[in-house]
Amino acid sequence: MLLAIFVVMIVSVAIAYSSYYERIIVMQEHRMNVSGPAPINLTSGSPVLGSASAQITIVEFGDYQCEACYHWYHNTRADIIDNYIETGKVNLVFMDLPFLGRDSITAAQATYCADDQGKYWEYHETLYNFQEAIDNGWASKDRLVSFAFNLDMNLDEFNDCMDSSKYAKRVKANYDESQRFGAEATPTFLIISPDGAVKKITSAQPYSVFSQVIEPML
Amino acid sequence: MFSSTAYTILAGVIFFVMLIPLLILSEFIFLEPFFIFHIPYEQSFGFVLILAVSAMSAIVIPMNVYRIRTLQKSTSKIGGGVLGSIIGASAGICSCGPFGFALISTFGAVAGTATAFLSNYEILLRLGSVGILCLVYYTTTKSISSECKIN
Repeated sequence: MLLAIFVVMIVSVAIAYSSYYERIIVMQEHRMNVSGPAPINLTSGSPVLGSASAQITIVEFGDYQCEACYHWYHNTRADIIDNYIETGKVNLVFMDLPFLGRDSITAAQATYCADDQGKYWEYHETLYNFQEAIDNGWASKDRLVSFAFNLDMNLDEFNDCMDSSKYAKRVKANYDESQRFGAEATPTFLIISPDGAVKKITSAQPYSVFSQVIEPML
Repeated sequence: MFSSTAYTILAGVIFFVMLIPLLILSEFIFLEPFFIFHIPYEQSFGFVLILAVSAMSAIVIPMNVYRIRTLQKSTSKIGGGVLGSIIGASAGICSCGPFGFALISTFGAVAGTATAFLSNYEILLRLGSVGILCLVYYTTTKSISSECKIN
């Protein structure tokens, strides 16, 4: 029995990694064929947090159900906002990479429904403040509506937006963009320098790492 | 038993072979863009549990190897030790990380459910794993001391 479990685990890991490396090889071939990936398309992402004319852009690929994203949000983000975004040096765009569960996709769509009422970042903040276990109902349709209610949003408008799934394509476009730039985990950050060079930071790394990447770009 | 260099080396190898990948998978060690070791305050208990699982595995597995090789006893207890280690190691797979992403994108909803379970119950699973390893340690110690008794 134990041996069977062990064999199944080893086979699963081997298959998962072979697929992972296949993707890496495809991406490397893509990089060899073109001079560099086309600039990232941020139009389907969040509204820009910070000055639109900031020298550097941080693109965060995240999932509202990801615990590592929660840790980054609560441990690192505030320092980046204080030291780089509020000083006008950097701006931040959030793009969805919803892969963890069924509620990840609806939560991502809900943020754009909130954006229709000018409350994207407030809603984003609410989701990361109330995050619980994956797909345990904390981001169910009812809870998403209750978050909108707490933010004094027009609920009829919000419900219509959610029921019509009008932002499904936008969330999918974000996902596709994340794959084009090789995001294989959440959160993944792209730090885009003034000359268009891109540095990638994977996972909820501490502020010091961001600072060491950003400072030489300024 | 641990006075033998071979078993001490085996214990050391098991400890580091478990510890380092678990710290990377659980995102306490980052290799890119710079090597960094970082323990957020709210995840310090998770870190302690990883240390405990690795240390207990490093003690229990060589003890059972000794028991099987020297005393020619059954392999049932090492099974418990390996099971405890596997549970502890699996709980460390962060579903948000590249490993979880690869599993979910390859196997879809089934892997999603499995990684969500491993992620949601990470601490409980690791505690369970430490519990299994402690139990195996206790029974192995008892077994070795009774089997090694000189009549």
